[in-house]
Amino acid sequence: MSATPNRRPFDAGRAAYLTLNALLLAFLLLPIAIVLVFALNPTPYISFPPVGVSLRWFEKFFGSAEFMNALWLSLWVASVVLVLSIVIGAACALALSRGNLPGRAALTAFFMSPLMVPAILTGLALFQAYLLSGIGRPVWGLIAAHTLVAVPYVIRTTLAVLHNFDRRIEEAAAVLGASPVRVFFEVTLPLIRPGVFAGGVFAFIVSFDQFPVSLFLVVPKGETLPVVLFNYMKFDLDGAIAAASMVSILLALSVVLVLERLIGLKAYVKL
Amino acid sequence: MTSAAIKLDQVTKTFDGRVMAVDAVTLDIAAGEFFSLLGPSGCGKTTSLRMIAGFEHPDSGRVHVGGKDITDLPVHRRDMGMVFQSYALFPHRTVAENVAFGLRMREVPKPEIERRVAAALAQVALTGFETRKPGQLSGGQQQRVALARALVVEPPVLLCDEPLGALDRKLRQQMQFELKELQKRLGVTLVFVTHDQEEALAMSDRIAVMNGGKVEQVGTPTEIYERPRTRFVADFIGEINILDEGGQLRALRPEKIRLVAAEGARLSGTVETSNYLGGSTLLRVQPTTGPSMLVRETHAGARASRAPGDLVGLTWNDSDAVALES
Repeated sequence: MSATPNRRPFDAGRAAYLTLNALLLAFLLLPIAIVLVFALNPTPYISFPPVGVSLRWFEKFFGSAEFMNALWLSLWVASVVLVLSIVIGAACALALSRGNLPGRAALTAFFMSPLMVPAILTGLALFQAYLLSGIGRPVWGLIAAHTLVAVPYVIRTTLAVLHNFDRRIEEAAAVLGASPVRVFFEVTLPLIRPGVFAGGVFAFIVSFDQFPVSLFLVVPKGETLPVVLFNYMKFDLDGAIAAASMVSILLALSVVLVLERLIGLKAYVKL
Repeated sequence: MTSAAIKLDQVTKTFDGRVMAVDAVTLDIAAGEFFSLLGPSGCGKTTSLRMIAGFEHPDSGRVHVGGKDITDLPVHRRDMGMVFQSYALFPHRTVAENVAFGLRMREVPKPEIERRVAAALAQVALTGFETRKPGQLSGGQQQRVALARALVVEPPVLLCDEPLGALDRKLRQQMQFELKELQKRLGVTLVFVTHDQEEALAMSDRIAVMNGGKVEQVGTPTEIYERPRTRFVADFIGEINILDEGGQLRALRPEKIRLVAAEGARLSGTVETSNYLGGSTLLRVQPTTGPSMLVRETHAGARASRAPGDLVGLTWNDSDAVALES
């Protein structure tokens, strides 16, 4: 007589759990699918159901000097913000976690505060501060503003890595003859790098998608993509907006994928 | 390999200005010696080791190694090897890169690094594991990588902070033999921190038993076990009976007590419990007066002969009841 395999009993909790997950995923992904449908639909206004597939809105987007200038400016600003915020954010996180600073909790809260304040207020406040101090609205002012709101993301992901960091590993390097500087570059930096770069991804996206802060700080003919899209939408609501959105999503996705490939974000950081 | 003597001279360390972690400890560790710091957690053994390594700076007192005062020398210039309980391998580097690290810091030429890394890995039986990452190794293998990494630079002093604590019993015993053999072969001075008294007895040339930041007794394993100087040392190491003879406390090991006929014995009483331990049986005997006594009945082949409820007589030699300092 052969043994019959045990049938797994129906598990209502598990079924509910899977259904909930499917619903959440649908909630997150459906809007993107809808944007894609609109971007490919050739009708001159946003309508449903779609009548065909065409790339005319992508052509319009890539053929428009206004959109292209804005896209390059956004990419350029976001790249500089990425670099600045990982340097500043990693340094802050190291100081907060290692520095034995007085009032460490208060300092941490202070550095994270740009996350708490609505971005529109940050934008308005910076706008007034820049005007009052006679700085005006140069590109570096915009970069500084974006960096301000992006740095907390890097601090947070780096602190998460530092929290689980076994300092014995650094001590082992020191006993083996590594000076403090060498310990940092040989051991500390390689081990916190995934956390720093994970924060860098957020920083890039925060800057690239930044609307409320940018709104106050850009000048005519020097507007970032979200601001240009907003202005465009006020008068035209055609597929070019959807096409621009798709390009933004793909750019953000490719940044995540490239960093994941290079350093394997998911292996180290629970986002 | 050269080895160096270590001397702690009245070394004191407090934390947060209040907690006395190490209190005026003086130790003389001979070159080539296997020396253990033994005690319960918080006794100051790890802090003492960390002051030898240079991770902690003593509030007062000096640390000498090889006749030189190294109290103010930074960690990376002390030329020591260290093995941590958590192994502290570099997780982002391969086994070979881990072992090569100290040589690279000493700017040893590349071909020599390769040769010495291969030799060090062969020494701990890990040839063939060069390209693995630490995460792909078992605990015992990681332990051996940590050992190879520490020893490849041929340090005159090797510091071990509970290096076997994370291994299971069987593996730990095997590593005890391997580590001791390696230490004797290389002749390196080894300072070994442990809370495991069996481990300390099995491996050490000499042991310092520490308690509350102070050294209670320094001696060979036999001296520490057979001639404990204080009640703490007697209690901490193995099973012990403390006899009170008119205010003078004496320590008597259970195996020094012989079971005899109840009549005419020094003490007589009934067996309360009998724990069969394989090679011996540990009896708890309640005498007619006084506290209960532990008695070890060793049996070569024969099974334990006493059962709970039996009336037994106890006797021992006076010289085996060691007078303790009060």
